[in-house]
Amino acid sequence: MKVQLERTFAMPAAADVVWRMLQDVEAVASCMPGAKITERVDERHFKGTVSVRVGPATMAFRGDIEVKDLDVAARSLHLLGKGTDSTGTSGASMDLVASVQSSDTGSNLVGKSEVAMSGKAAAFGGRVMNSVADQVLKQFAANFAARVAAVAAAPTESPAPHQAPNRPAAAAPSGSLNGLALLWAIIKDWLRSLFGKKAT
Amino acid sequence: MAIPQNVTFTLNGKPVQVAVEPRELLIHTLRERLRHTGPHIGCETSHCGACTVDIDAMSVKSCTVLTVQCQGANVLTIEGLERDGHLHALQEAFTQEHALQCGYCTPGMITRAYRLLQENPHPTEQEIRYWMAGNLCRCTGYQNIVKAVQSAAEKLAAQPA
Amino acid sequence: MPDTNVIAREREDKLQGMGCSRKRKEDARFIRGRGSYVDDIQLPGMLFGAMVRSPYAHARIKSINKAKALTVPGVVAVLVADDLKPVNLAWMPTLGGDVQAVLADKKVCFQYQEVAFVVASDRYAAADGAEAVEVEYEELPVLVDPRRAMDRDAPIIREDIADKKEVGHGPRTHPNHIFTWEAGDKAGTDAAFAGAPVTVRQEILNPRVHPCPLETCGCVASFDKPTGQLTVYMTAQAPHLVRTVSSLLSGIAESKIRIVSGDIGGGFGNKVAVYPGYVVAIVASIVTGVPIKWIESRIENLSTTAFARDYHCVGELAADRDGRIRALRFTALGDYGAFNAHVSATKFPAGLFSICTGSYDIPKAYCKVDAVYTNKAPGGVAYRCSLRVTEAIYLIERMIDVLAQNIGVDKAEIRRRNFVKAEQFPYTTALGWTLDSGNYHAALDKVLKAVDYEGLRREQAQKRARGELMGIGISTFTEIVGAGPTKACDILGIGLFDSCEIRVHPTGSVIARLGTMSQGQGHATTYAQIIATELGLPSEDIQIEEGDTDKAPYGAGTWGSRSTPVGGAAAARAARKIKEKARKIAAHLLEVGEGDLEWDVDRFTVKGNPSEVKTMKEICMASHTGNIPAGMEQGLNSVEYYDPPNLTFPFGAYLCVVDIDRFTGETKIRRFYALDDCGTRINPMIIEGQIHGGLTEAFAVAMGQAIPFDENGNHLGNSLLDYFLPTSVEAPHWETDFTVTPSPHHPIGAKGVAESPHVGGIPCFSNAVADAFAHLGVTHMEMPHTSYRVWQQCNALGLNKR
Repeated sequence: MKVQLERTFAMPAAADVVWRMLQDVEAVASCMPGAKITERVDERHFKGTVSVRVGPATMAFRGDIEVKDLDVAARSLHLLGKGTDSTGTSGASMDLVASVQSSDTGSNLVGKSEVAMSGKAAAFGGRVMNSVADQVLKQFAANFAARVAAVAAAPTESPAPHQAPNRPAAAAPSGSLNGLALLWAIIKDWLRSLFGKKAT
Repeated sequence: MAIPQNVTFTLNGKPVQVAVEPRELLIHTLRERLRHTGPHIGCETSHCGACTVDIDAMSVKSCTVLTVQCQGANVLTIEGLERDGHLHALQEAFTQEHALQCGYCTPGMITRAYRLLQENPHPTEQEIRYWMAGNLCRCTGYQNIVKAVQSAAEKLAAQPA
Repeated sequence: MPDTNVIAREREDKLQGMGCSRKRKEDARFIRGRGSYVDDIQLPGMLFGAMVRSPYAHARIKSINKAKALTVPGVVAVLVADDLKPVNLAWMPTLGGDVQAVLADKKVCFQYQEVAFVVASDRYAAADGAEAVEVEYEELPVLVDPRRAMDRDAPIIREDIADKKEVGHGPRTHPNHIFTWEAGDKAGTDAAFAGAPVTVRQEILNPRVHPCPLETCGCVASFDKPTGQLTVYMTAQAPHLVRTVSSLLSGIAESKIRIVSGDIGGGFGNKVAVYPGYVVAIVASIVTGVPIKWIESRIENLSTTAFARDYHCVGELAADRDGRIRALRFTALGDYGAFNAHVSATKFPAGLFSICTGSYDIPKAYCKVDAVYTNKAPGGVAYRCSLRVTEAIYLIERMIDVLAQNIGVDKAEIRRRNFVKAEQFPYTTALGWTLDSGNYHAALDKVLKAVDYEGLRREQAQKRARGELMGIGISTFTEIVGAGPTKACDILGIGLFDSCEIRVHPTGSVIARLGTMSQGQGHATTYAQIIATELGLPSEDIQIEEGDTDKAPYGAGTWGSRSTPVGGAAAARAARKIKEKARKIAAHLLEVGEGDLEWDVDRFTVKGNPSEVKTMKEICMASHTGNIPAGMEQGLNSVEYYDPPNLTFPFGAYLCVVDIDRFTGETKIRRFYALDDCGTRINPMIIEGQIHGGLTEAFAVAMGQAIPFDENGNHLGNSLLDYFLPTSVEAPHWETDFTVTPSPHHPIGAKGVAESPHVGGIPCFSNAVADAFAHLGVTHMEMPHTSYRVWQQCNALGLNKR
């Protein structure tokens, strides 16, 4: 069960600033709702978790993240993530290429990813995967943009690439992926799309 | 480990008390603690209806109810349909019309039909099929089940009030 | 003077024997909710088992960590493959001649394969424990398309048999190849095709589906250390075969193993195989010394137990211009999953597929099945299929319609032209089966008359002129049931005979035990009816027992509609042995020669002196006294082990009328008329119930069921959220009819019947749907015919435009 996504998000800062933020894997993870880096194996390999809650049920994916490639000239980052849910009934893997491009209003964060699901998540979640992935990325983009804006306003604080210390991430607007809020967001988007307005 | 809660309710006319974790499902309480193995388990997505019981005058799939939700409730299972050695008209009709083969869906089916006839004593065939759509059967193809419900309806209607 | 015939009929009615629609004896407990299914069993000290299963279809197991699971409150033990190796139970033989991992040993080969078994105090603790077992997987490339299984670069699934040149059924040509099986005259068939004026070819898929009985599989295994006795209560359609396999597997003497099948909530072929859950429950019981209960969930049932079909077929017919078939060439690629657990006789690894010549007189035929491994659950033979007969009959009944359309002959007429004629029976087909009896013309004619076939075709023509879609589907099938003669039919070498042991009590009631196993077919009633008529004792007083291997004589269980053909024959013959002894006793008591006696329903009378009578009841008592012929043993008891001379061949003619909404694809079954001939009819009410059930399952298969996989081997339809089980709303109304053409070789002339409606029903629905589009050039549509898929056809033809 594979989902392919290509999204572009406007960022409120220059390409260089956004690119520097993008290379801080732990900061990036902290913007992903429900995600956490738990261990830094080396500068290219991390271990992390992602939690998804729907009401009382929680799926906790535990896995490995690898920075496959970093192209400074093109400002692009290739990430591979792979994990199993703690109950052992689902598996997930993600192949993501994220890049930063200059624009008239600042810059754009462009993401292209392929997500594959196995097990129960595929059997039951398959039908909503596209919408769920969409919503997750939107939340991520919003968090990331907020962080970028905060950093752009205080340029002396911008972290150096590859050296993200193990300090707690700046408070992200949404700490965990709340499934019901997600569901509501999906429904809202779907209704909007029925009436012709394309969700960004 | 959650602390067991005491839950009291009426089961087929008799008071019962159990101590259960909040997450325990009614179907398990009925079958394992209270030894009423009439209601059966056929799925875990609440589709099949083999677990159907009657709670406070409503058909309920007991696999989707927590026992703690049944505090003070009036629960009826297939075991409670026979009164003083007399079978309910539905039970007799199911035998007469050959409305069962392996018997696994039968308790849920009869319990559901019981509620149907309480609410609608003169259902049409279409109404019967619609009402019973929450109870799956793999053996009979439903045709004789419909006949059994119709036959029981006639019998009950003919009885003096 | 009372009419003796009337009195005889009254006595016959009192017996409630053969032919009467008496109510079922088993109903009394079921309507009260007092059945005894395996999950109803509670034994002192019993623990619960839950399976840990792989989320990946193909992966290496890098590590299994039990530590966290063992700390979960209530968890007693966690078993993995390494725990089974010391007792030689990590792998087990299948009923298909292969081996299967009981718990995955270093790699998993299908999604949801068993990896570990958690034993705990109750089902909640067991589920908690299962969630806490940590397994590290390394994913491997997945093979889900059977057509790619034999590619040079295909992922190799079975490393455990990598260097085996064969897996029970002849040489294999590729690590993912299981066997190639063929039957018939290839050269002669090819020649006939080369010379025929008309040939048709069609690719036809029998999609993977699942029998999904309402009760899932499960067991309670109880090993008693002091006595060394193993008792397993389980959902077993063939308890004796399971006992023998368990003994071979575990090394425990078969005399110390007792398999008990109580009430089973539907089998449909799903409960024949030995599943890993049973084996680990047995091991866990031996290890812990207490009873262990394992009951699978619905998702586990749909994902890992015996599925059905998944045959990718090519059908070819060669014919004259008037539709007389000269030759048949059918090939199939069988997707058998990761292990060959396909219940099959040694000689027939593709089941009884060679019945594919159907009801037709076809001079030359050839069929071939290639079986391959894929990363899917094992199985293939299940779901009322009579051992691959559903696939075979689907093929021939679809192909004859394809041929009819090709040459422009009416679909009923082409069948008449090709039927085996009544005077040709017994008829041996080009693929080697000897059809025992049949009258196909009479059956079809009766159906066509009952539905006014000509009128339906006229209506169809009118509707087509208005742009409406109406289809008429015909299915004239011949089934092959009652496995079977031991010279041809075996499972793991054990012949497929069956047995009946009868004991008659002094007061005239009877207990009979058989080696078959009802899962709802009404054996407690029908066997009693057979014996009642043979012995002249009321069926109400005849107890039937099956399922406890300590008590029942050896048999091969109930599947493939074999109970009446084999078990029923054994019952009749065992009863006849008793009747012969009773005759001798009657002669002795009446002081006449045996030849002077006449049998009259329930008594012996003296020829020419009807007042000299001994009733069967009197003889029952007498047989327990000293007043019996000299040298004779007391009692009226017998046992018969019956090895059938042939299988039986029930047949039928079905007709289905569908109306299809060209804008939505919604297909309404307007009418379904089913005529079945199963020879002598024991209980018409029970037969009708079987027909209703089999037709509803056929409807499910044809119109909505599928088990799809994605490219990663994810099982996409494994809960009732997705898997289509018809409810009372969708289930059509069934009309049933019958003819009676007894089997010449069966003691009471009976054939099996319960699988006929499924085998014959599926092509009937499919033929109707395809027929609805036939005037637009459509020759075939693949199942399932969901509204969406039918809409896709309408859309492709532009029918949904105004």
